[in-house]
Amino acid sequence: MNRVRMLSLMPVWGSSAGRSSLLARAASKQNLLQLQRRSGLQNSWSVPVRCFQASTTFSSSKIARSVQGDKDRGKSAANRSLTVVEELFEREAKTKATFQQAVDVFCKREIRRRGHVEFIYAALKKMVEFGVEKDINIYNKILDIFPKEVFVPRNFIQRMYNHYPRQQECAVQVLEQMETYGVMPNKETKFLLLQIFGAKSHPMRKYQRIMYWFPKFKHINPYPVPDPLPADAVDLARLSLQRIAADLDARITTYQLPHVEILDSGKVVDYPHIIGIQSPDQRSLLACHNPERPVFVEGPFPLWLKKTCVYYYVLRAELLPLEERKEEVIDPERNFYYPMQLDIDLERDEWEDEEFDIDEVEEGPVFAMCMAGAGDQATLAKWIVGLQETNPVLSQMPVVFRLTPGPRELKSGTDLEENSEEETARSQSVNREA
Amino acid sequence: MSGLGLILRAARVAFPAGVRQFRTACPRPAFAKELFRGTFRKEEVFPYPEISNEELEEINQFVGPVEKFFNEEVDSKKIDQDAKIPQETLNGLKNLGLFGIQIPEEHGGLGLSNTMYARLGEITSQDGAIAVTLAAHQAIGLKGILMAGTEEQKKKYLPKLASGEHIAAFCLTEPGSGSDAASIQTRATLSEDGKSFLLNGSKIWISNGGIANIFTVFARTEVVDKDGVTKDKITAFIVERDFGGISNGKPEDKLGIRGSNTCEVHFENTKVPIENVVGEIGGGFKVAMNILNSGRFSMGSASAGMLKKLIEMTAEYACTRKQFNKKLSEFGLIQEKFALMAQKAYVMESMAYLTAGMMDKPGIPDCSVEAAMVKVFSSESAWVCVSEALQILGGLGYMKDYPYERYLRDCRILLIFEGTNEVLRMYIALTGIQHAGKILTGKIKEMKKGNVGLALGTLVDRLHDSIGRKVNLGLVGKDGVAHPSLEESATILEKNVYYFGVTVEGLLRRFGKTIVDEQLILKRVADIVINLYAMTAVISRASRSISIGLRNHDHEVLLANIFCTEAGFQNNYAIAQLGKYAPENLDESIKKVAKQVLEKRSYICSHPLDRTF
Repeated sequence: MNRVRMLSLMPVWGSSAGRSSLLARAASKQNLLQLQRRSGLQNSWSVPVRCFQASTTFSSSKIARSVQGDKDRGKSAANRSLTVVEELFEREAKTKATFQQAVDVFCKREIRRRGHVEFIYAALKKMVEFGVEKDINIYNKILDIFPKEVFVPRNFIQRMYNHYPRQQECAVQVLEQMETYGVMPNKETKFLLLQIFGAKSHPMRKYQRIMYWFPKFKHINPYPVPDPLPADAVDLARLSLQRIAADLDARITTYQLPHVEILDSGKVVDYPHIIGIQSPDQRSLLACHNPERPVFVEGPFPLWLKKTCVYYYVLRAELLPLEERKEEVIDPERNFYYPMQLDIDLERDEWEDEEFDIDEVEEGPVFAMCMAGAGDQATLAKWIVGLQETNPVLSQMPVVFRLTPGPRELKSGTDLEENSEEETARSQSVNREA
Repeated sequence: MSGLGLILRAARVAFPAGVRQFRTACPRPAFAKELFRGTFRKEEVFPYPEISNEELEEINQFVGPVEKFFNEEVDSKKIDQDAKIPQETLNGLKNLGLFGIQIPEEHGGLGLSNTMYARLGEITSQDGAIAVTLAAHQAIGLKGILMAGTEEQKKKYLPKLASGEHIAAFCLTEPGSGSDAASIQTRATLSEDGKSFLLNGSKIWISNGGIANIFTVFARTEVVDKDGVTKDKITAFIVERDFGGISNGKPEDKLGIRGSNTCEVHFENTKVPIENVVGEIGGGFKVAMNILNSGRFSMGSASAGMLKKLIEMTAEYACTRKQFNKKLSEFGLIQEKFALMAQKAYVMESMAYLTAGMMDKPGIPDCSVEAAMVKVFSSESAWVCVSEALQILGGLGYMKDYPYERYLRDCRILLIFEGTNEVLRMYIALTGIQHAGKILTGKIKEMKKGNVGLALGTLVDRLHDSIGRKVNLGLVGKDGVAHPSLEESATILEKNVYYFGVTVEGLLRRFGKTIVDEQLILKRVADIVINLYAMTAVISRASRSISIGLRNHDHEVLLANIFCTEAGFQNNYAIAQLGKYAPENLDESIKKVAKQVLEKRSYICSHPLDRTF
């Protein structure tokens, strides 16, 4: 539709002003034009852009159709070139260096860059395989395949129409893949795009849009996950626990470092890591806990850090039943300097209540958390024993293990049924083990 | 001739010198608390309190020698450097009787009134370390015995304390407990024979801790209440150093008041006989509160005294130093600073003596709110003024060779000790709101229930307010008590008082008893009422000065008018803010910023040089 509107506009310009004056106008308004396009004004000047956007599906479907047509006609030429392209990437080990090599080989072989669009599409597909999908230099190298200055429009008609649509679309595809993997274009990318397609081309627009949004989103996550994640399981456990605890006072304790012990009998005993975290608040909560009531070790619960999943266990208690809850009374003789409570029989006005009405589900207190190399009860009992050192009151409480079959049990998979039953053990037994 | 002069003259005839107005109703409703209802009890503050000629002569007899002693024999610089008051100086203070100013004559003290105590405080404050040593001794250290002690305790301890043979200290603060009584860890356990307590625990930052012989110590004791439940309660004890088991940490190295002795005091199985309990067993909380509340008023006159001296010193400099062939005193910006200092000194002096006069009136005076207001205003003004004085002196003020930087260091503590200003603001605001709340609860409840008549009445009142109400609280006009030269200031005060009352009522309606948690609002309330009290004090004092023709009373009128106009503006602004909701008066944003900073425990903005691409 847009295209139709634009076409109908064309003769109007032609008739109202001479061609040369139109050119002059176009040139003088170039700066203004850029502004107008940025602000998204939909006047006749921005029509070419919209025209392209409207036609992307159109043109790509046309390509698809033509490809299909090629296939129908007989899989001769296209097929051959594709296999050649694929071959380039199938030669050696899949590393960054070999990927670069493949690109270099193509560039050297095809001085005239024939079939570069196909090659770029193929290269884009292969990037993940080579593990270079997040490397800005590789993207720049791919863009560098495009022949320079050929696709830059030279006059207003070329500028107005979609100049070299397949190539432009291909470059947009490259930028889109960068966007998908969160790769921020750099100065070199911009320079290349300028050289290849010119200042107001679609890839350039895409570049500008990326550069508008990406910096804004760079720090959108208030809890950034380090990239790359620590490889060591102990370090990863520390990081994850700190993340869940979200308390700067919480202290990490290493109850056991992973090590292997070889007994005299030749038997190998594997000691998994046990890393725990507890904050002073949690400690005082635990100290106030009624020793008659049991505390539970529950888990494993999953925590996703980007693509890694780790599991943690918590030590918690059930919520106190209503009748046992004590309302905290402020002693009137508490503060030497000013009253902590007023003896006025007036409540807060509803207009002053600025909090949203939220249904809150109360949960029992969590006293500590840990991550361990193994999810079996013996390992977690060691954690409880370690906790008893800093929380003496814990040794008087019954500790119940409520472990669900974790991922590790699932892998072994044999005694699934037994594991799903609640494993319980009194703390006395834990003490004996200690 | 104004009506005021007549009233004053009539008052003079009715109450001849030496006889003070006597009221039988006690305790009297305090002036400041009534301000929260928009009521101005002018008979409490007008006329400005006076002392009789005999008393004036008496105090002047004391002032002369003390002034001479401080000018000639106190080497403040040395005290500051050595962080110790020399023994000769202490002996001199003892000989002057300064260790027992308020102890009754029958117990060997000077037996002076609060007003006279304030007057002497003006002079002793010339050296911060000495002022603090004296204050820790008698304003808090021995106040417990004086206020709540038995006759035997008084007889036993006061004479030696009055003579300065024994020095007292007040032991309340602990490592884990500043204002929180619940975290006091020092414990006193009753011995098996029930005749003594064993005291165990540590106290920190005790003024005079290292030199004191008598300690007022607050400790936890087990008390069986009337339901038969054993509870921990605070009890106050008089502890002599000779009881044994008392040790000190080394004196703390401080920013200011370096000559005063501040250190830790440890009690280890100190045996305290049961006769040495101050007040009741388990009644220590009240004792502590009363001591703290009563000790504050003198800070106003002390700061004023210090400031007056500082004005002399800086004026000398400004009138001799020349820049660009002009004296410093000819520059407007320097003049402004002197005006500010004079104004603040005048205000704090007025407040201090008004409060002292109220406390000296017979009956059971409850002036704790007033005293707290004096403390907050004078400590903050002193800090501002000393800083401005340093500014006048330029680089000179920063040098250790001159005394000015010492004044700056010394007066910083005023904002902190005897209750930080923040805590006192809460006290001022909450005490007043509690008072107003008790009276207004019924009315507000009626309105909330939907009493149409009452609501309409209030609506008409507010409408009247918004089109400009003429407030008459009896300060100006035909029966006005303020002098006509101060009519404008008095009108501002009247309006402020009225609208403050309206605002407090609004706050009570909005927040009810949950206002205790709205500290930003309470701070504004406290600021307004402090200003109101200060305005009252200066108008009352200036009116008296004009009426009896004191020297330079025209100067006083100028100061009073400057202060009242400025304070009036501040009050109007604060009242306007109190009328708004949290999102409009920035409270919400302020809280949010603080929350975000504290969550990360750091300044969280990106560096201005940071980039994202």
